Amino acid sequence: MKQNYLDFNRSTTNHYMRDVFIDSVYEYAKKNKDLFFTTPDMGAPSLDKFREKLPNQFIHSGICEQHMISMAAGLTLMDKKIICYAMAPFITSRCYEQIKCSVAAMEQPVNLVGIGVGLGYADAGPTHYTTEDIATMRVFPNIEIITPADEVSTKILAEDVVTNDKFRFIRLDRDVLPIIYDKAENFDLKRGFYEVVKGKKKKCIITCGYLLHKSREIIEQKYNDFTLVDLFKIKPLSEEFLDYIQQFDKIITIEEQWTEGGFGSCILEALSDLGKTKKITRYGLKKRFIFENGGRDHLLNTNGLNLFEIFKNENN
Amino acid sequence: MSLNLSDLKKKSFWLRKEIFEMVINCGQGHIASALSQCEIVISLFYGGILRYKKGDPSWIDRDRLIISKGHSAMGIYPILSDIKYFDKGELSKYGSPDGILRIYGDKSIPGIDSTSGSLSQAPGIACGFGLAAKNDNKDINSFLVLSDGEHYEGSLWESAMFASHNKLDNLIFIVDRNKQIILGKSEDCLNLEPLDEKWRSFGWNVHKVNGHDYGEILDALDKCLDKNGKPSVIIADTIKGKGVSYMEDVTRWHNTMPNEKEIKIARKDLETNCII
Repeated sequence: MKQNYLDFNRSTTNHYMRDVFIDSVYEYAKKNKDLFFTTPDMGAPSLDKFREKLPNQFIHSGICEQHMISMAAGLTLMDKKIICYAMAPFITSRCYEQIKCSVAAMEQPVNLVGIGVGLGYADAGPTHYTTEDIATMRVFPNIEIITPADEVSTKILAEDVVTNDKFRFIRLDRDVLPIIYDKAENFDLKRGFYEVVKGKKKKCIITCGYLLHKSREIIEQKYNDFTLVDLFKIKPLSEEFLDYIQQFDKIITIEEQWTEGGFGSCILEALSDLGKTKKITRYGLKKRFIFENGGRDHLLNTNGLNLFEIFKNENN
Repeated sequence: MSLNLSDLKKKSFWLRKEIFEMVINCGQGHIASALSQCEIVISLFYGGILRYKKGDPSWIDRDRLIISKGHSAMGIYPILSDIKYFDKGELSKYGSPDGILRIYGDKSIPGIDSTSGSLSQAPGIACGFGLAAKNDNKDINSFLVLSDGEHYEGSLWESAMFASHNKLDNLIFIVDRNKQIILGKSEDCLNLEPLDEKWRSFGWNVHKVNGHDYGEILDALDKCLDKNGKPSVIIADTIKGKGVSYMEDVTRWHNTMPNEKEIKIARKDLETNCII
């Protein structure tokens, strides 16, 4: 049975993250002919405009993710800027070796933009889900991993991408998400996190992306003891973040991933390295491949991420 | 720089000996793979093909070169020192902690335009080079020396398709077709032929040459430089281990170090045996 446990009833936007991102890049690309955008056949209305208006800066790589990544490194080796855009699983594990050797090992500032992280492509099945992308991508020493939460943060991120050359993995949600960052300054990329809700007790939920919004709905509706933190920059974790979480008696991470190697693991490792260990309860997807139907919320509910249950348990 | 045939042949002797002594001194390296490509890389550097500035590996308008078969990228180190990209003393420090030269080519080494070693990533990188040069309206060519073993990787064909579709006629790939992979002859392990037809069907200009014959190699390279909107590939028929009698076309020498007795034989062979 489908459990439609929450709607985003206060959504004030109908802008998809991908379109906000690509439109921002487009504005920059109009003035900078050294910026290129490539995709192995992933579309978006905003990309149609980019392709039409800036055909010389759009590169269809073919449905060839491995080639796309190496070609992107070739462009940055020639001092060009490049954004690679594809469905999240295919821009990470499909071309992992190329990311390692052509990009990471040569320290090339290639931007990898993955759309539809987590179960964003429900009900397509495991081929189209990324339940491990944080674990696989965070091991690269020089990568930045960022999960914007709304269109405001996506736009700020896009502006950072076109102006600061870095090796990044950007995790975009497939769905339209409500606004979190009505005050743009709260999305501080150096800080890497934002306290979305201040709770009454020393209990903290750390999450990002789609589940951040779901968690906010539940906290504001029923469980206002909890502080809610958007950990939008998973790598590198800021020192400020690691200091900040020290104040809490209870820390809970919720991620649309398998927990092995996810951001809960990142935090545990970082605290351990600093000698500031704390108990952290990690919630993630069940350790299985999901082949059922029912939509993203249903699949989350039935695969370890029923947030009502989690909040209820952790509230006791 | 463009040497005459007699001087090119002298370079063949010189390069093989340099490679052999460099690897023996270190105890690591792929001698046989580096020996099969000698006339190819000498043609590029000393046959008036590759545009570079002596002593200036960072010259922005240089032609790019990647030894895609990264295990034999060390086969151009003697040349890179000869054209003053780094001090000749580095050759004797190859593979040692206090030297800059590494077993596989990597970008930290002056004259190595891209790290290689994981097969068939360089063709994609070369496509990036080619696109950038076209975008900037610069007459920069990108050369790649490929192994035949790399033809098993799917990503090579992804890049081959991309290059011809995008009319990257500033790409010139040279296949060091020595017909040996680690476990045996390529045609026994998994058939690669007809290689020329495969490349042609992907939209490339294809030339086949004797990869140890300067006349044939330079003639084909000249044709490749005559741009016609298509990328070009030269399939150079070579002998793995060329110049060392007991290594020539013998499978076990992919990454094997010769013993003392074999070293002596090789030194004698390299004085007499590598003339084509």
